[in-house]
Amino acid sequence: MGIITKEARRWADREYPPFEMHVTATDIAKFAHATGETNPIHFDREAAVAAGFLNVVAPTLFTYVVRMHASALVPADRLEPDGSPSADVPPLPTKRAMAGETSVLLGERVVAGDVITVEKRLANMYEKEGRSGPLVFVDMEFSFTNQNGELVARETFTRIYR
Amino acid sequence: MSLPDTGTEAPVQTRTPSALDLFMFSASSWLLHRIHYDAPFTIEHDGHPGLLIHGPLQGVYLVQTAESWLGDSARLRSISYRHLAPAYLGDTLECGGSVTAVDDEGVEVELWARKPDGTVTTTGKARFER
Repeated sequence: MGIITKEARRWADREYPPFEMHVTATDIAKFAHATGETNPIHFDREAAVAAGFLNVVAPTLFTYVVRMHASALVPADRLEPDGSPSADVPPLPTKRAMAGETSVLLGERVVAGDVITVEKRLANMYEKEGRSGPLVFVDMEFSFTNQNGELVARETFTRIYR
Repeated sequence: MSLPDTGTEAPVQTRTPSALDLFMFSASSWLLHRIHYDAPFTIEHDGHPGLLIHGPLQGVYLVQTAESWLGDSARLRSISYRHLAPAYLGDTLECGGSVTAVDDEGVEVELWARKPDGTVTTTGKARFER
């Protein structure tokens, strides 16, 4: 029973190397504009300093940007036809992906100049029967720390394949 | 500023992301999944009627709704959210929430994004602390 093969189980034991992102004010401004932020603390160093930050400060969920770069900043031949990073996709016939649940615990804020290290772990893989066939759930865990060793965020994210 | 009582509701924020907004979110986060910018692929490969509004973008909308409501008196400490129905390019999302519990350190809130017809696309829970 089930569609998760032994091969996929072995795949799920994989480990991911830590990834470092050197966060620039430009990275922060791009994400802030993309999400409609208008507060100058995301764009203007003086405004950020006046608000008590060391430099331009990232919007709350900026760690999403860090973890996507950790996954997807790879040569194009390491991407699936749908653009997903191959390293994240289980070797199964389920080739259509969607976002499941996300849970984020927030610590230190991210500011321009930070070097954020993300450590990633495939925590669990399991299947459920959906309305249109089997669904495979892949739970990932992320831990984000800054260059001072301070916790920036912990996140769990489930990607669903059908 | 004091924190609101249980049952207090957030001002609703209405968002209708354009194709440009979807592209900027993908580009700025290096999210390469084609269902957010390649309509023919999305329709043929995934069977959707059009481009999808990113789940993580809806997560950002929930955070923005909550932070513009409570962010002056408390800090967001944790948030979790999940997606119940797809949202497509052209859809309008009404984002709101309410306080579900109050304690000495902060408040718990529930958050949601829904289409004008009432379909909830994303639902979440968050905790703010002083």
